[in-house]
Amino acid sequence: MYRYDEFDHRFVQERVAEFRDQVARRLTGALNEAEFKPLRLMNGLYLQLHAYMLRVAIPYGTLNSGQMRMLAQIAETWDKGYGHFTTRQNIQFNWPKLKDVPDILDALASVEMHAIQTSGNCIRNVTSDPLAGVAPDEIEDPRITAEVLRQWSSLHPEFTFLGRKFKIAVTGSEYDRAAIKVHDIGLQVVRNAAGEVGYRVLVGGGLGRTPMIAHELRAFLPKADLLPYVDAVMRVYNLLGRRDNKYKARIKILVHETGIDRFREMVEREFASGDHAAVAVPPEELARIAAYFAPPELPARVPTPVEFERMHKLDPAFARWVERNTHAHRVPGYIAATVSLKPIGGAPGDATAEQMRALADLAERYSADELRITHEQNIVLPHVGLGDLYKVYRGLAAIGLDAPNKGLVTDIIACPGLDYCALATARSIPVAQEISRRFADEARQREIGPLSIKISGCINACGHHHIGHIGILGLDKAGVESYQITLGGESTEDARLGDRTGPGFGYDEVPDVIEKIVETYLALRDNPRETFFQTYRRVGMEPFKEALYAPAH
Amino acid sequence: MAKEFKPVVVTANDLLEGDSVFLAADGWVRDIRMARVAMTAEDAKALEADGLDGETGNLVVGPYLIEVSLDAGRTYPLLRREQIRADGLPTIPFGLDAQPAERRAA
Repeated sequence: MYRYDEFDHRFVQERVAEFRDQVARRLTGALNEAEFKPLRLMNGLYLQLHAYMLRVAIPYGTLNSGQMRMLAQIAETWDKGYGHFTTRQNIQFNWPKLKDVPDILDALASVEMHAIQTSGNCIRNVTSDPLAGVAPDEIEDPRITAEVLRQWSSLHPEFTFLGRKFKIAVTGSEYDRAAIKVHDIGLQVVRNAAGEVGYRVLVGGGLGRTPMIAHELRAFLPKADLLPYVDAVMRVYNLLGRRDNKYKARIKILVHETGIDRFREMVEREFASGDHAAVAVPPEELARIAAYFAPPELPARVPTPVEFERMHKLDPAFARWVERNTHAHRVPGYIAATVSLKPIGGAPGDATAEQMRALADLAERYSADELRITHEQNIVLPHVGLGDLYKVYRGLAAIGLDAPNKGLVTDIIACPGLDYCALATARSIPVAQEISRRFADEARQREIGPLSIKISGCINACGHHHIGHIGILGLDKAGVESYQITLGGESTEDARLGDRTGPGFGYDEVPDVIEKIVETYLALRDNPRETFFQTYRRVGMEPFKEALYAPAH
Repeated sequence: MAKEFKPVVVTANDLLEGDSVFLAADGWVRDIRMARVAMTAEDAKALEADGLDGETGNLVVGPYLIEVSLDAGRTYPLLRREQIRADGLPTIPFGLDAQPAERRAA
């Protein structure tokens, strides 16, 4: 993975020193809140319902064990012993004190981490596929592109004060595990007919109060043109994007109002007139960055070791976990294991310091020292030898993170909601917990099959509810929590926004509502292989509406 | 029709800790039951102004008025959001407290 050079170290340390001074001036009153707020936000520090919240960037979701241990140490030293992994592959600490934040940033800098550009109207943490460098279907490791974009966009003088925040996601595979169609810019590494590697560029996707699926801007962009082209998109947006209304300021609104064809013309014109040589990443710099993402040297392993076969037969719980929570690796004898941060009744995405340390130990011993945070709020151990998999599984069981539920009904995404967030209008986490308990039975979860439930506590949609197979949006109705349900959303290459079922439901009603939806699906599906999403696409909303709203006979 | 006035208190976040605080007779407190309650629109204006003094005095961030109920002699917010703020914690166990009992002891 990428390692800081001397410039990176100096830059981050200077930034921490600067923020330490700003905090000191805030505490003496030399800076008032109006002056301080934009400064703290530039360093990832929010003020939430009960406390400050620090959002720490995890570039493209990749961590090493030392970094994970530092997150554990921060959680214990300056927080309440846990952290919350987010849908943007970051981590949030919910309880830091203002005076401690410079020390936390110092601690982060010591392991090459920071909180810069995790807030504010700038280009945010570039997200990517948690199986980058692992998945057999990958054309190229998308983190190389993500790192190029990270370096280019960090404190970019032209793009630090955009009309609104800006999110970029990159995938290296045809199968989209990075939700690129709901990002401001989505990049997919592709090959053209001549076999050259480049990018398919998407623009104008996003969730929030005006959800939109991205449009294709370019079917094929040569690799060398990445930065000049993204620069051209940013320039058009920066110039023409609205600044009079923050709710209409994202690039998706500009693309929607302009029309994709006209928007494309403007981008191509800007691109054609730009100084490509001044913006493009020099080949030697690209090679330097790419070298950091060279695949780890994994010792040769037999494809199916005896110990794996044995435990797979002897321990049915292990076999079920393998079936749900592992993904093929490009190297024979290895596998990527998803650690579900969704134990039954748990808060989605939360991990205690003890769990973080144990995960760091497992990564160091069994996964080439790497961990990945997923936008589904889980963690991936990307390079586990099959012969070690049972030891990893037992290690996860010891910290309560062995739930075999990846992609199932209890693998729920939820934003922090009204339990933590100042913007939220309703709670999310307890809703997720109740649904999780309702569907705790493993056999029933498997019988239901792939089903994503995504919950947001307000229309800003941090819980990605629009792209859940079942989406739940918590709203405030005259001071009381009310939940709108959507069905048929999807986050992958088949991305689609869910359809609203109808009037909302009360907080206590939600688990029963989900139960009815699931039962309706089970009764309607053609065969046990037809997934919830497929059934919904085949039969449409009506039967579900009928089940939810028809008066009882 | 003018909106019916309901009793209010002023709340904010503490500058140092970030937690919810309420303006009481002798300063900012964590317990909403100690908060000064304005029973008229005129009193509410004065209370709001005192809250703003807390911000200019560098004690709190973002003061604002919230409507409260005084049922059974207990001051408590009317809105769910403010109830959760006044309670001072999430409505659910978190961190180690959210772990199963056998691992909590660890």
